[in-house]
Formats: sequence, C-alpha cells, structure tokens
Amino acid sequence: MLISAFERVKVGKVPVIPVLLDKRLLIVTGKGGVGKTTVATALGLASARAGQRTLVCEVNARERVAGLLGRPETGAQITSLEENLWAVDVKPHEAMREYALMILKFESIYNAVFENRLVRYFLRFVPSLQELVILGKILFHLKEKRPDGSWRFERIIIDAPSTGHAITFFSVPKVILDTVPPGALANDAKWMRECLIDPAITAAVLVSLPEEMPINETLELAAALKDRVQIQPQVVVLNAFIPTRFSPADLDQLAAGELRDLALAHQARARLSVSAADRLKALGHPLYTVPRLFTPTFGRAAIEEVSGHLGAR
Amino acid sequence: MNPIPDAVHRSNVLVCVGPGGVGKTTVAATLALRAAVEGKGSLVCTIDPAKRLANSLGLAELGNAETRIADPILAAASGQQPRAAMHAMMLDMKRAWDELIEQRAPADKREKILGNRFYQSLSTALAGSQEYIAMEKLCELRMQRGYPMIVLDTPPTAHALDFLDAPNRILDFLDNDAAKWLLTPALAAGKIGLKLFNLGSSYVAKTISKFTGVETLQELANFMLHMSSMYEGFRERAHQTRALLEADTTSFVLVTGPMPERLDEAVFFHTTLLQNHLSMAAVVVNRVHPPVPAALWSHAKKLPDELRKRVEATLNENDHLASQDARGVARLAELCAPTPLVLIPRFELDVHDLTSLWNTSRFLFGEAHIETALPSR
Repeated sequence: MLISAFERVKVGKVPVIPVLLDKRLLIVTGKGGVGKTTVATALGLASARAGQRTLVCEVNARERVAGLLGRPETGAQITSLEENLWAVDVKPHEAMREYALMILKFESIYNAVFENRLVRYFLRFVPSLQELVILGKILFHLKEKRPDGSWRFERIIIDAPSTGHAITFFSVPKVILDTVPPGALANDAKWMRECLIDPAITAAVLVSLPEEMPINETLELAAALKDRVQIQPQVVVLNAFIPTRFSPADLDQLAAGELRDLALAHQARARLSVSAADRLKALGHPLYTVPRLFTPTFGRAAIEEVSGHLGAR
Repeated sequence: MNPIPDAVHRSNVLVCVGPGGVGKTTVAATLALRAAVEGKGSLVCTIDPAKRLANSLGLAELGNAETRIADPILAAASGQQPRAAMHAMMLDMKRAWDELIEQRAPADKREKILGNRFYQSLSTALAGSQEYIAMEKLCELRMQRGYPMIVLDTPPTAHALDFLDAPNRILDFLDNDAAKWLLTPALAAGKIGLKLFNLGSSYVAKTISKFTGVETLQELANFMLHMSSMYEGFRERAHQTRALLEADTTSFVLVTGPMPERLDEAVFFHTTLLQNHLSMAAVVVNRVHPPVPAALWSHAKKLPDELRKRVEATLNENDHLASQDARGVARLAELCAPTPLVLIPRFELDVHDLTSLWNTSRFLFGEAHIETALPSR
C-alpha cells in the first residue's frame, strides 16, 4: 500500500493540493471538532509523499498526529514518523528553553538564568511570551538549513488552535511588537510577523463541516485572519461531505415509511453539504471536499483516504 | 433519577464544559431556555470568542450586555407561556477588563493602568486572562444581578481547564513570594523605578534584558506597581470565585460526543472535575446516532436492484455510525461511572433555532429517550 502510493508519486501524480505546493508554512485551523488534526496529518502525509521533508507541529494539545499514523507519541522531540515526515508536539516549557538557547547559545547561562525561580515568574507574566516561544520555535525550524544548504524542513504544517484562540495565537507577534521596546524579542516578533503575512511563504487552510454553525464560523474566521492577522486563507477544506445519492425518481419509488424517511434524511444531509460548499466557495478560495468516512477505527487507513481526497479537486 | 432537571432545580449556576465541536453552546442555551420557560429566570453567558450563541438563539448579534429573549419567541419554541424571562449575553473581554479597572482601581492609578502596554495586552491577548475575567464576570453576575439561574458556556478543552484553574492561578500569582520580594523595594520606596529585580547589573539581569529588552522589565515593574493596590481585591474575589465553583448550588455539565476521537478528552475532563471536587450533574452525550431498526433491512430487499443498493449503502452507514456510537457511549458510561449519562440524538438538521433547542431539551430532561446499547446499571 505504502509502496504503491509512493510509486504513484514517481509517475508524476502528486497527491497534494497544488496551490499549496509552493508554500513553506501551512496553518490548519477551524472550529473545534471539524477535523483539523486529520487534515493536518493528511496534508503532512501527502506532502511527504510528494518528496518534501515535512514537519507537522501540534501546539500544546493532546497529541494525536503520530497516533493517527499508527506510530508511538512523539512528545516534545521532533521525531521521524516515516520517509520525509516528522512530527512534534510543541509545549511551552520546552519551547521556552529551546528558544532561549537559540539566543543565549550557552546552556549553562540558560540554566542559571531561566531556571531561576524569580526569572521564570517574571517571564510568565510577559504578555503572550508562551505563544511567542511556541511560534518562535516552529518558525525557527522554517529557516533551519542542512549542511548542504538545503532546508531542514521544506514544509511545516501547524495543527493550529481552534478559531478564537487561533486569532489570538497568530496575533502574538503583533501584540509583542506593540508591547515591547526594540530588542531581541521585538526583532524576532518582527521577523515572525513578516513570515506569517507573506503569502509566498504562508497559507492558511480552513477546515469546516457541512453544518450551519461551523460554516458561519469559517466565514468569520476567514475575515478575521485576513483583517486582523493579515494571513491569507488559501484553501478551504469541507470535511465529512455527504455526496448526493438519491434522485427524485428514487424517492418517488419509495413508499411512505421508514425507508423513505431514511432516503429523505440522506438527501437533506447531502443538500446541506452542497449548500455548505456553495457558501464556502463564495470566499473565493479553492474548495476541497473530503467525504464523510465510515471506517471502523479512525487511524492510518482513514488518513490515507483523506490524503487522497486532498489531491483531487 | 433525572439528573438534568434535578441539577436545574437545585442549582443557580450551571457550567457547561467539554471538548470543542460537540454542541456545548447549544446545550447551554437549551438549559437556560428550559429553566426560563419553567419559571426559573435565566441568563446564558458564553465566553467563547466565536460568536456561536447568537446563532443558537436566532439572534444576529450578541454583546457584552444581557439581552432579553422576547417572550413570544420562548412561547413559540416551547408551545407554552414562559413563566420567567430568559437572557443571553456574550462576554467582551476587553470591556470587562476595562470595567474592572474603572470600578476597582484607585482613582489616581486608573489612567496609568489603562494606558500601560502590559495592561492592554493583558486585557486583549494574554493567554489565561480571558478565563480569569470570565470568572470575575460570573461572580459579579451571581452576586449583583440576582438571576435565579446562570448557565455558563466555556471554551474547548485545554482552555476550559485553564478556566477552572484561573482563580487558583491568580491567587498563586498574588501569593507568590517572588512577586512580594520583587515589589517590596519599590513599594517601600513608594516610587516607580525598580532596579531590575533588585539585582542591579548582575549577569542575570543583563541576560534577561537581552531576551526581553531592558525597558520591558521596567514597564512591567511599573504595571505591577500600579496594580499592586488592587491585589487584596483580586485575592478576595479569587477566593469568592473558587467558593462559587465549589458551592452546592453550582453544578457542572460535561458535554461531549460519542465519537472515539473525543472520548479521551471527555474522560480527561471528567477526571479533572472530580479531582477538583466539583459537582458533576451529568455527562451529556450529544449527537448520538440511534440504531437502525432491523425490519428496514428486509424491507429494503424488496426494492428494485439499483435503488436497493443505494438504500442498503445508507442503512450500512447509519448502522455503522450507530454501533460506533453505542461503543463510545458504553465506554463513557464505564469510565465516567457513577456520573449519569444523558443521551441526545443527532438531529437531521443543525440545531440552531429555539424550536430545535426545545426538541433537544426534551431529551436533556428525560422526556424523550433514544435506544442504544447503553448498559443498564
């Protein structure tokens, strides 16, 4: 299975959303429960199979990416899951340490200063520093190079927090810029912000469901990302799409009763999917639909399937 | 036993918690609706930054102010004349913070606090601050507004736990020896201009300022100094908040879905709430797919071939979802025992108007049931 999918890539059928192929940073976000982690993992798999070194980052969450691919949890260490694919669960404490070490260079100084109780106490109160170091660590990996000068990771995918908190999270560099005077922190915040708002580098992937409230929220999120954070949404993924199955003729053939109700219910859900797709298309970004999956356990097989659907429009 | 009506009857604060995307806001709105119709005047308050509640109530906008839902709307939803009023509001974090400072800070400090950049980011973007101000608001509403029932909706997972932790965290912050030690010299001197942590030109101070910029520390010190006169008030209210959460008249409703990917989160929540000695009214399992009646399969057999295939595919899918949900429900019942489970079916269409909310409430209040493989205990 794995080999055949890999072979497909070799013959030129690239199973990753073409419009995202040239982006280095993908931010996957949406309402809670719409399938952000699923889509982030599937995109990671697709990107890795397209031959690009890809890192999937979860942000201070209950780690799920590695488990979905049938691998043990990675924790806060960047861990290889398979060829070209790495995952990490970015936690504030570890990120703070790594981030500080990047600036300070010396571990002994870090230990003396940052493990100091008083210092930790103060740092905790610097506005949004936690988010900044998490974002800082992720974006640091974006500019990391290998000895041969190529990128360590050609693509980074962030499984971002849900709607309201995503806006807060990605606003952090701006908040820092408005808050702290010039210095190392402000310089980094400036760099991060430039990175996030550069449409050549960064794209937001908005995940939604064919239900009224998730759709409303997606439309609001798209506007907020654009207006308040200046991140350009590039692609919308409509998850759990129900394709139309029964024709009007089918329904005519079914006598009133539970089977007809069943078919009508299916049709209503399919109609909801279509109208959801129409509303999302109005955003003017490419829309991908992933059909609702009926798999016994939601694991690797399901991710493979979702990954396949993200390849075709 | 009917856990939800019992909880509505004996509580005056209901807190809905749970993972994201499971219909928590809908359940919160339903509880408030039902309480009002039955004679317990209610307020539903969401602190989720996404504007879901207005949608749930069929309103275009919902702001910081408590808005009364018109009686005719409640009547239309429930088919009866409401016996009390229902209100709804959404918490505007920035405004709530500003109001807090305006009401509680000493007159000569107000402008300085409101103008401080640390305050501005605290009130708009600092993680945890929205949870804190929500608790403040809950306390204020409880004490000053006299609603017989307040239903509080909370943001998803990690943040809802932050929310429960917010009063503790603010206490920890205020009681911290480090804070006292750091502030004492400046407080004693009665002036701004803390030397960096009182450490002078030590390498520690130099290193930190390399990290944050030296002025940042100065401004932070100023901020803490201005806020210091409010510390006692913060401490007092944090205790009140904690007491409110732990009160006999406060109940928690854990809202979750039956799907396997939400299960761990829900159980984690349940455990955390119990560990915190909070009173759990029920685990509400929302959007459960009911089982497919067996007779439908034999009916389907009589259909013409093509149509039969399509109908059977649909039956298979529904059956798959129903048995998956039944497994999830059974597992939840086992892991959350002895907290009672209340099941709400998945409705064919989205629940976002008052009529659908009423329909939901019938399941929530034990007037309608779905059969599932829920083990009887």
